[in-house]
Amino acid sequence: MILITGGAFQGKKAYAMETFSLDESMIADGESCSWEDIYKARGIFHFHSYIRRALEEGRELKTLAKDLIQRNPEAVIVVNELGSGVVPIDAFDRNYRETTGRICCELAKKAREVHRVVCGIGMVIKHD
Amino acid sequence: MFVLITGGSGSGKSEYAENRAVMLSKKESLLLYYIATMKPFGEEGKRRVERHRRLRSGKGFFTIEHYVNLKQLILPGEGVVLLECLSNLTANEMFEPEGAGEHTPEEIMDGIRQIRSSSRHLIVVTNDIFSDGITYDKTTEQYQRYLGRVNRELAREADEVMEVVCGIPLQLKK
Repeated sequence: MILITGGAFQGKKAYAMETFSLDESMIADGESCSWEDIYKARGIFHFHSYIRRALEEGRELKTLAKDLIQRNPEAVIVVNELGSGVVPIDAFDRNYRETTGRICCELAKKAREVHRVVCGIGMVIKHD
Repeated sequence: MFVLITGGSGSGKSEYAENRAVMLSKKESLLLYYIATMKPFGEEGKRRVERHRRLRSGKGFFTIEHYVNLKQLILPGEGVVLLECLSNLTANEMFEPEGAGEHTPEEIMDGIRQIRSSSRHLIVVTNDIFSDGITYDKTTEQYQRYLGRVNRELAREADEVMEVVCGIPLQLKK
């Protein structure tokens, strides 16, 4: 598994496509894909949006990271880094932010590589 | 040794900080102190504190709850101190009636320097609350300014500064 993180609008998607030779047909977009799509696609983009949608629908996310690692071990996951702001007033936003962070920590622990993209430039911050 | 650890919410910075503190205490057979600055507000606050307690349990930490005025804190003995977290401490100093108000940054710096001088190793956990691009009201902006200033001053004095991303420590200063 490959995890690619970084702030919004940093060029993570383009970086992922180029670095891992992906094309649109291999991608599940977390903003609109089905709950099952992420277990089949090679690339999972906007993974934070998938988490957000799942929280909005009250879905159980405790095993999401584990399931993903087991069922789609070769996935390239692109996710926004979104914990670096003032604690949100809204409880849902706080939970969304923290849940996303915790899931990413879990994925990063098992990932073969973790990349962080800033201004379109990727840095490998973990490499097994 | 003085280590400053930063990162966003859910970045895994607490777990990393705890592991560092435990390693230092084991290596030199030192006492392990945890200074908790978070006042648990409501159910969510209680859950957060509980989660942190669970993470720490069994690691040998002696927990001290201290919400404002670190200068008054006297440690029972020299050892490894883990202070968490500066975003809470800053908010407490600014908004609690017994806090330092407009002298928040100076108060925090004096308190941390004092702990530094009475401990063998100090690990301070702070928080990156600066990168969401949102313009906040004057009070929140002041809060960011104070914490930003404390972070910069501490980083200058620290032997090591780490940023934790998805549980992965990145070295900013050594």
